[in-house]
Amino acid sequence: MTPQQKLRRFEEQISPHLKSAYNLAKWLTRSHADAEDVVQDAFLRAFSAFENYRGDDVQPENAKAWLLTIVRNTSMTWLKRNRNASSALDFEETLDAARERSPDPEEILLISCHRDAVRRALEQLPWEFREAIILREMEGLSYREISSTVGVPMGTVMSRLSRGRDWLRRILSDPRPLKPTEGAGLR
Amino acid sequence: MNCDGSRTYLAAYLDDELDVAESLRVLKHLAECPDCRQTEEQQLALRFALRDPDLRVHPSADFVERIEVVVRRAAKAEARSRRSSRFEFLHFESLRWMPAAAVVLLLTLVGAFLVTNSSRSSHQQLIASAILAGHIRSLQPNHLIDVPSSDRHTVKPWFQGRLDFSPPVADLSELGWTLVGGPLDYVDGRSIAVIVYQRRMHNISVFLWPNRASADELIRQEVAQGYQILHWNGAEMTYWVVSDLNNTELLDLARALRGH
Repeated sequence: MTPQQKLRRFEEQISPHLKSAYNLAKWLTRSHADAEDVVQDAFLRAFSAFENYRGDDVQPENAKAWLLTIVRNTSMTWLKRNRNASSALDFEETLDAARERSPDPEEILLISCHRDAVRRALEQLPWEFREAIILREMEGLSYREISSTVGVPMGTVMSRLSRGRDWLRRILSDPRPLKPTEGAGLR
Repeated sequence: MNCDGSRTYLAAYLDDELDVAESLRVLKHLAECPDCRQTEEQQLALRFALRDPDLRVHPSADFVERIEVVVRRAAKAEARSRRSSRFEFLHFESLRWMPAAAVVLLLTLVGAFLVTNSSRSSHQQLIASAILAGHIRSLQPNHLIDVPSSDRHTVKPWFQGRLDFSPPVADLSELGWTLVGGPLDYVDGRSIAVIVYQRRMHNISVFLWPNRASADELIRQEVAQGYQILHWNGAEMTYWVVSDLNNTELLDLARALRGH
């Protein structure tokens, strides 16, 4: 592949997914400025690794999952370097607290689907669960793609999705959502 | 399947991750159980809320431009370092296309042979693969939809003068099918209309042209390369619908189109 061919193929296959890359980075870092830094770094990494990527022209979604893997890992590096990655352990405690308040996990809750409420609920979710939900619902990745993007087994993907959704249903159906101070891992 | 089973499989079912047999078992249970149907409705409501396009955050135009510049600069830097390190570069690259050309020639010959053979045996199969190719083409990044519009009053007149028939363009936005636009394509020896709808992240192409045969009672279904293909002859038009969307929702669309 000549450098010109590489640039052309990169711009055909990878660049169209910039919006998805940015959306994921913003939801993970929760800041526009940080998302821009992460995406720029991720694009440079993607470009230098592009020769090793065996793209499939027929399935542009593969290119998207490939790029999002790099964006995700870059975001994680960034999050670890800069403070606030709320850990899953804290989240377990918060979830347990939520379970105590509503013992039946299958109860039918009327959920509020107001956009701002949904946005706030998503922002409250710890990043493991948030990234699984974003990749699945907004970016339309399959369980298998999420599993390779995040680097965990399919079973973990399924349980993160289910617990994340469970949590969202709870926040959205509670007229008085948990205040950040009440939830151990929430900010 | 009982309620426990249905609860275990419901999320995977709604996420399109079950195979047909498992999906049918969940569907069957849902039809019988109002409680699980209510759970399903609630799960669907959450998914619907999360797929709101306005929840997505978009990069600024300046940033999009900046990334393009950054990538091109990286490409230039790489080209410079390669040129200085490899003098034989040009000579080497110029010969590289030869094996690829041989493969292309061989594939063309094999393809021509297969096409002439299958056209005798199955005309329908040929149309199916042509519309599948058309659909996949329309999914390529940067592919231009000839008339990108969500307004059927824009899409419909656009076809006039480009086709020798006037395709019905149904507005199904109330049912959750967003009109994306209408490319032209060439299938089965004639120019035809393609109407593209979108649901969530999936594109659905509806290929249609005047029907010369009698109308069908049933919708024919098949799966090719992971895509669902539906086909039926309507009173006036022949329809082919192709998408990677799940079979259930695609059948809903087909029924809506037939009702129109």
